[in-house]
Amino acid sequence: MAEGSEDKARRDRVFLVVVDDTPERAVALRYASLRAARSGGRVALLRVVEPVEQAEWAGIGAMMRRERHEEAEALLAGLAAQVKEITGGLPILIIREGQPAEELLALLDEDPRISILVLATSTAGRGPGPLITALTGKLAARLSVPMTIVPGGMSEQELDRVT
Amino acid sequence: MQIYLPIAEMSVDALLLVGLGFLVGWLSGLFGVGGGFLLTPLLILIGVPPAVAVASGANQTLGASVSGLIAQARRANVDWPMGAVLVAGGLAGSLAGVQLFALLRRLGQLDAAVALSYVVILGVVGALMVMESLRALLRRRRALPARMHQHGWAHGLPFKMRFRKSRLYMSALPPLAIGFGIGVLSAIMGVGGGFMLVPAMIYLLGMPTAVVIGTSLLHIVCVTAAVTFLQAVQLGAVDIVLTLLLLLGGVAGAQLGVAMGGRLRGEETRALLGLLVLAVAALLLWNLIAPPEEPFSVERAPW
Repeated sequence: MAEGSEDKARRDRVFLVVVDDTPERAVALRYASLRAARSGGRVALLRVVEPVEQAEWAGIGAMMRRERHEEAEALLAGLAAQVKEITGGLPILIIREGQPAEELLALLDEDPRISILVLATSTAGRGPGPLITALTGKLAARLSVPMTIVPGGMSEQELDRVT
Repeated sequence: MQIYLPIAEMSVDALLLVGLGFLVGWLSGLFGVGGGFLLTPLLILIGVPPAVAVASGANQTLGASVSGLIAQARRANVDWPMGAVLVAGGLAGSLAGVQLFALLRRLGQLDAAVALSYVVILGVVGALMVMESLRALLRRRRALPARMHQHGWAHGLPFKMRFRKSRLYMSALPPLAIGFGIGVLSAIMGVGGGFMLVPAMIYLLGMPTAVVIGTSLLHIVCVTAAVTFLQAVQLGAVDIVLTLLLLLGGVAGAQLGVAMGGRLRGEETRALLGLLVLAVAALLLWNLIAPPEEPFSVERAPW
């Protein structure tokens, strides 16, 4: 009985990966997918699109907004195929609009399914990246789930080994 | 505090100019627009000669657009080949526009021509803006305007180019023509022309919206720089004292406007901008048609 509920908890847990435009997002995505495949759970992908700046024409502002959402959908659909290859299941796709860190925290508050946040550090050598800096610094108190930080320089073999 | 403007050949209150720069900078930061289309008519209204007002307006737009262009270029939102074609057209257009400007000045029709083109263009643009936001306010969910995807008329044109970032394979002539038109407008009115360039790029050229802002800023920066330079060289119409005072207020105003603009979004703001544009057009029109206070002035002959 105890074992059954543990299995269920494992199946239900969700690894959240924030999809930005950095090269290390592939590392975070692969780590989350491998963890989900090996030890149970699902992957969720969050893409935060920028809000439209004040545009002179309302129609153009609306069109910009729609095209940004379409672009985000296409990107997430492509990444979802990669996740499916590893985990066998489709990930949860989430698109939100606003500041990345704020939207991430709001999502964690609203969605109780998410159990672990997976972020990868930047390899550019100028700090770990804005999101990790914010979440381990000023916004640390508002984080409501554990966070896994993956070194952005890890290769696929190394990721295979640690998962 | 009266100071004498050497090029404009008039004396004005320096504080008034700083205040004007502040107001225009604040509005352009608030609404995310260039500000040339506000500054030039306001300068004309306080009595600055149109030639000087146009050159100052172009210069103000240039200053307001450079930082935007840098930010967009850093995010790789500029289609450089498309921008180069637009700028080529724009430079030719501004050259032609400055010639036209000089011709009108020789004919003595410059003031009326500048004011009239402002009344017409601001009237049309302001009316469209107000109508668009009213429609959106009345029914929140509106049908999105369709984008012209197949533009048959442009397919037969020669000089096809591949614009990778815009995902377009099209003749270089339409962007060249659009750049030229905006360049002429820029030279005569001292505006960047973003409010016409952006819709033209989306609806006529079919560019994706992601690269439109950055690419239009590239055009605006290059063309307003050319206009300021040409006006200075050909007409001697750039007044450094005026420009400095306007810039002083403009920089502070823009910072305040951008900070406030974050909280002020949506249809209501856009309707306000439209009303503001209409008000400027109406003021200029009144200036054109109102009978002067003294139809005749009598002076003692100098002999």
